[in-house]
Order: sequence, then C-alpha cells, then structure tokens
Amino acid sequence: MSRASSLKRWPGWVLLLFVVAGFLAFGSTRDAGARTPEERVEEISKQLACPICGGETVYESRNSTSASIRLEIKSQVSTTDASDDEIIAYIVQQFGAKTQLLPKSSGFESLVWVLPAVALVCAGVGLFFSFRRWRTNVDTVPDDDDRARVDAALAADAADAAAALAADAAAAVGDES
Amino acid sequence: MLAEGLNGLLGHTALIVGFAASLFGALALIAAIRLGNPRLIRTVLPYGWLALGGAVLAVVVMERGLINRDWELAYVQKVGSYDTPALFNFTALWSALEGSILLWLLLLAIYTAVIMRRYRERLTDPLVGWALVVMFIVTAFFFFLALGPTDAFKPATAPNFAMCCKGPNPLLQNHVLVLFHPPILYLGYVGFTVPFAFAIAALVTGRVGEGWLVETRRWALFAWGFLTVGIVLGGWWSYEVLGWGGVWGWDPVENASFLPWLTGTAYIHSVMVQERRGILRVWNLSLLVATFSLTILGTFLTRSGVVNSVHAFSDSTIGPFLLGAFGVVVLVSLGLIAWRGDRLRSPGAIDSPLSREGAFLANNVLLALFAFVILLGTVFPLIVEAKDNRKIAVGSPFFDTMSQPIGLVLLFLMAIAPALPWRKASGELLRDRLFWPAWCGAGTLAVAVFLGATDFAPLLAFGFAGFAGGAAIRQLVLATRRQGYRGFLGRTNGGMVVHLGVIMIAVALAASNSYTRTAEFTLNKGETVSFAGHTFTVENVYDFTTSRSVGIKADIAIDGGQAYSPAISKYTAFGMDVATPSVKSSFTKDIYLTLEAGSKPSTGLAKIKVFIKPMVVWMWVGGMLCAFGTVLAAFPGRFRRRPTDAVSAPVPLEEEVAGV
Repeated sequence: MSRASSLKRWPGWVLLLFVVAGFLAFGSTRDAGARTPEERVEEISKQLACPICGGETVYESRNSTSASIRLEIKSQVSTTDASDDEIIAYIVQQFGAKTQLLPKSSGFESLVWVLPAVALVCAGVGLFFSFRRWRTNVDTVPDDDDRARVDAALAADAADAAAALAADAAAAVGDES
Repeated sequence: MLAEGLNGLLGHTALIVGFAASLFGALALIAAIRLGNPRLIRTVLPYGWLALGGAVLAVVVMERGLINRDWELAYVQKVGSYDTPALFNFTALWSALEGSILLWLLLLAIYTAVIMRRYRERLTDPLVGWALVVMFIVTAFFFFLALGPTDAFKPATAPNFAMCCKGPNPLLQNHVLVLFHPPILYLGYVGFTVPFAFAIAALVTGRVGEGWLVETRRWALFAWGFLTVGIVLGGWWSYEVLGWGGVWGWDPVENASFLPWLTGTAYIHSVMVQERRGILRVWNLSLLVATFSLTILGTFLTRSGVVNSVHAFSDSTIGPFLLGAFGVVVLVSLGLIAWRGDRLRSPGAIDSPLSREGAFLANNVLLALFAFVILLGTVFPLIVEAKDNRKIAVGSPFFDTMSQPIGLVLLFLMAIAPALPWRKASGELLRDRLFWPAWCGAGTLAVAVFLGATDFAPLLAFGFAGFAGGAAIRQLVLATRRQGYRGFLGRTNGGMVVHLGVIMIAVALAASNSYTRTAEFTLNKGETVSFAGHTFTVENVYDFTTSRSVGIKADIAIDGGQAYSPAISKYTAFGMDVATPSVKSSFTKDIYLTLEAGSKPSTGLAKIKVFIKPMVVWMWVGGMLCAFGTVLAAFPGRFRRRPTDAVSAPVPLEEEVAGV
C-alpha cells in the first residue's frame, strides 16, 4: 500500500474532521458586521405577510399596502431603538393579526409543522422494516440455472416486438380465413 | 354563435375536430387492441394527425386573431391591444388562462403524435397501444377544457373598447423571457404525460416488468430537463422583471411547478434501482402517477382561483373539471396498482442501506417528504379556511425553514451516493473513495471562510456542495480515464454533470440568500455614494415615454464606469407601476439596482436601492449545466450491463486516484 492510501486510513480523516470543525466553528461564530437599516427592514418585512395578497411577504409584494408597511417598518427602524421582534409585534397589531406568515405552533395550525415530522418518522420506520424484511430473504448469488434464465429472457426480449407483431399478424390472418 | 366571426368559427371547428379525433382515436385503438386487428390499428394514425392538426389550427387561428386584432373574440379583447409590440402580442397567447390551455393542448397533441409516429410499427403491442390510448384520452380531456370551461374562441359580448384593448399584464410585456419560460416549462409539465401513459399501459397489460421503463427512460429525462430549465428560467425572469431581487418566492404557482419536479427527480433516480435490481416497482409507478397528477392538481390550485397567487389568472369554471380529473387519475391509478398487486411483488431485495440503491431510496424518501411538505404548505390555507372559515397565509418563512434541512441532507446524499457501489459497501471502500471528495468539501469550506462567509447553515451548505462536487468530478474523471470522451455520456456520467449544475444552483441560493447586502440612498444628480466597496454616481435622472407607458429612469455609474439604468414605468392602460431593475453581473456577484418611488427628474433627485448579491450568475450557469447534463445522460452508456455480471464497476487503481 502506498503512502497515499495509508493516509486515507485514519490520519487523513481525523485531520479532515478537525479542519472542518475548526472552519465551521470559526466561520459561524464570527460577527457578520453591522446591518444597514434597509437590511433590518428587509429581514423584518420577510417575516410579515402582505395583508391583502395572501402567500406573498411584505418584502416581495409590490402593492401599495405592502409599500406603506415597509415605510412604517423603516420609520420604526430609524427613529426608535425597538428590536426586530418588537417592530414585528407592532406591525402585526397595527395592520391586523393576519400578517404573520408563519403558521402558529399551537392548535389546528400546528398540523402544518407536525404532519411533516410524522411523515418523516413514518418514512423512517417504513424503511427500517423494509430493510429488515429484505435482509431476512436475501438470496444473492446467481447459479447456472439463473444465468440460463437471464440469457433466455434477454433473447426473448430482443425478439419481443417482432414476435408480438408476427403473432398479431398471424392471428389476424387466422381471423380472416 | 350566429354572430361568430371567421376566427371564432375556425377555432371552434378545429377544437371540435381535434376533440372528436382524439376520442375516436382512443376508441379505435381500444377496439383494435381488444380484437387484435392490425387493420383497425392502421385507422388510428389519421386520428392522431387530425388531433394534432386541430390543436395546431386552433393555436394558429388564435395567433391570427391576436395579430389581426380581431376584437370579436373575447380573449383578444382581454389580452390584446393596438400598441402591444409584436413579440408580446405573440406571447399574449399564453398570458391568460384560455390561451395557456391552448398552448398546453398544442404540446400535448405534439407529444401524442410523436409517440404515435415513433411507435407506428408497434401499435399492435398492447403496451404501446394502451399508452397511446392514455395519451389520446388526456388530449381529448384538454380539447374538452378548451371547448367548454376555458373557451378561448368565445365571441365578445360587445365591442367594448372602454374595457378592452389593454394588452397583457405589464409584467408579461416587459422581458423577452416571456417567450421562453412558459413554453419550456409546459414542455416539461406535459412531457411527463408520456411516462405516465406507459406506466398505466404497463398496469393495464400486466407487463409490469422493466420493459416499459426502458421505453420511457428518455421521455422522462426529456421532460425532466425541460421542467428544470423552465423553472430556472422562471427564476431568472422573476429576478430580471419583478425588482425585489429574488428568484423564488414560494408562490403557489412556483410550488406547483416544483412539486412535479421533486417527484420526477425522485423517479429518475429510483428507476435505476428498478432497472438494475427489479425492485421498487410500486414505488416507481406511484412516483409517475404522483408527478402527472401533481401537474393536474397544480393547474387546478393555480388556475381555478382557490389559491391567491401572483400568477393566478382570474376565476373561471375550470376548477371542478381539473379537480375531477385529478381524482379520476388518482383513483384509476391506485385501482390499477391494487389490481396488479400480485404481479408487482418483486423477488429482489436491497441487501444493505449502505449501497447505491440504499442511497437512492433515501434520496427518494427525502424528495417525497419535500414534495409532501410543500404540498401541505400550499394547500394548508385552504384546509384552515374550510375548517375554521378564516384566512391564514403560509409563505416563505415556513418553506425556507422546512426546505433548508432537507436541502442540506440531499446535498450530503449527493456527495455520498456516487461513490457507493451497488448492493453493499464496506467502510474501507467508502473511506478510500470519499477521501478526496471530502477534502474538496473541506477546501470549499475553507475558501468560503477566507472570503468572509458567516453563519452555520450556509457554511455547511458550501462544505457539502464541495463534497458533492468532488464526488461528481471523481466519477467523471474515472469514467473519462477508462472511456475517453465517452466517459461523459450515459446516465451515470451525464447525471454527474447534472449534479454539478444542481450544486452550483444550491451554492448560488445559499450565498445569495444569506449574504445579500442592501441599502437605499436618496441622491442628487451628480452625487456619489459608496456602499460595500462600490461607488454609485447618479449621472442623470429623466422622464421617458413609450407608446404604452410613461416613466422615470436614472443613469447610475457603478465604480465610475459604465452607467446602469433602472427605471419605473407606469403602464397607462393599467395605471400600474412596474419597476425595472438594472443588473451588473459578474461571476462572483451581481450589483442589482432599482429605482424607488419618490425619484423626481424635475429636481434631479434619485432614490435608488442597491442589492449586492453574491454568486447569482452561478444559478443560470448551473441551469445550463443541468440541461447539458440531461442531454449527455440521454445518450446510451458504453454498454448494457448483463444482469448476471458483477454489480459493481471495477474498482479503480487507487494509486492513480490518489494522484488526482
């Protein structure tokens, strides 16, 4: 075994682990720098639903209602020292409670969060049982009999279309006569 | 009907002829298959051509009506105007519901005719015959829609010029992409009818083995490629036209195109497991049924007015028919699958989760889960409204939250799966094969950190993307070493090129969603401002007029160089403001300028918004790479593997690989 492949055994992977962990830790904890007021407005408006269009956020929507909400957020951002959450609460109160785009995590609306989780669990359980079932009836190595069958099937497959045509034609001739 | 003009008469006639032809085609074919009569089968061909002729004529007549400004047609009054430029007048065909059904119909009739012509010698084969029957029935259904609920050739009730003649929605007469995005997307949408038809035929004839998969492999790829390109073009259009700087808003119509894409993507992966191992038969049939029925359901959701959407056309009576069709498709398919249940059981097994087929299965489960989440989010407001009679909105924050982890896991699978052998992998094998791809990921992560990337999720995305890219490149390098340029052809290798495209799109999305810098400036003419390392000088602010709009434009020099001119236009007929962004693109970042309301040419005041969006271009390049890879994948690989041969590709010389 060459040097390269022994490197691949564990030293290379352990080194990789440290490098990745290091860069991830460094990168994700450092400060991204101050946000401009517009970036705050953007972040807030992305969390609010345009009250008259359904489905679009205030950030995306181009109608006048959303424009006035954006203006209101902007004046809040620049004139008060309220936090993002306080501004959201204020806007929700000012423009009606429907502005929250995230469904609530309680009551009936929580289904939109719960169902995907349920689906994930079901899929996982289903996969687990499938694999267990598969494992119990593994019959892998093809013997000579299998090989002969595959050869026959392949030959038949190639001639399949022609044979079908011929058979049909023969049947038709039979019908006519 | 008495006062019907020439175009209306011709259009209705074409649709009636097409409807009758597809219906008779289906009936004749069924009769021929039942009786096994080749003569009767030959009579089917003219029906197919007649149906195609009807669809072509209907579209040509509608275009003639639009071009000649035939105000006797209600549809021309709705989307036509005297001063729409020729290009947008042509594309006005699909700028509203009735015409877009005509476009759908045309593509469907073309697919049906192509299938018929391609398999004309084999129509006596019940599998092909029944597939064509399904195509005919779907075509007949769309002819019926075009005749009844969405009659494009309805005569205008009155030549009401006060109401009419505004032309298509301003957003649909603003950019040349309107010529490409809808037809290409529809080519993908409608194209999935072909594999669906063969799936149904396989169930009807009971030939549920792998034969029908081989027939439809390229059709599914073809449809998938067009759907992918259509979606990417839609993102580009949104970016270039809507002026909010984004490509994707999780709008119901966007979701409606994404849902069949997800199930279609799952299918083109899991189909390989079935071809190779003969398992997952029911699953593959279900995926095709899901893909086709989701296109119908998506059309229902977005074209019937039940869901609010920027793309939604006005209310019509089409809803119940589409919902009914969706129900019929699902019930018939499930019924057929249940009926053929005994033949669908397969003897094969997946030996180990840690294998190529295990990875495909995991990817399928994730893609199906993804589709479920998006479908749930899209229809959830309807459910809540039906139950509690109150309106809620489920928008981007929900979809972003849900799609981020799923997307990350999918990226990770893209990194692992290409290195996994079929049947069973060992730890040592993976340790060797994944070594350099994993370091690729670490390297990408390091580069991203050096370039200033922050936050955990996007960093993880970059790392996984590098890993997945390394795995794809590893496969391509090994294949081209063995086979020369042919190492790019075939499903596996072409698929790796598609993976590279998808990875580029993922990186672009992660970067542009996480690191966009934005600022707004109010500047006087001649004033310069600097932001995020660039300077912006307002050279001029001025009014402009076109035949359809009046507006304001500003010339803004970026870094003292070339001027970019964002504008706001007011389309006079609609009283609607449309902001047109101006974008300076480069391979690493886009500088995206919009002009905001409040700019005043009279005083030389410009209110501009600047977005610095990293790596957006990667998205368009990635889209092209996807299309290119799809074409490569459509070529046959070097040889067809015999089912009894060793399942794994020969293990490459590790020293050589290590030397890469």
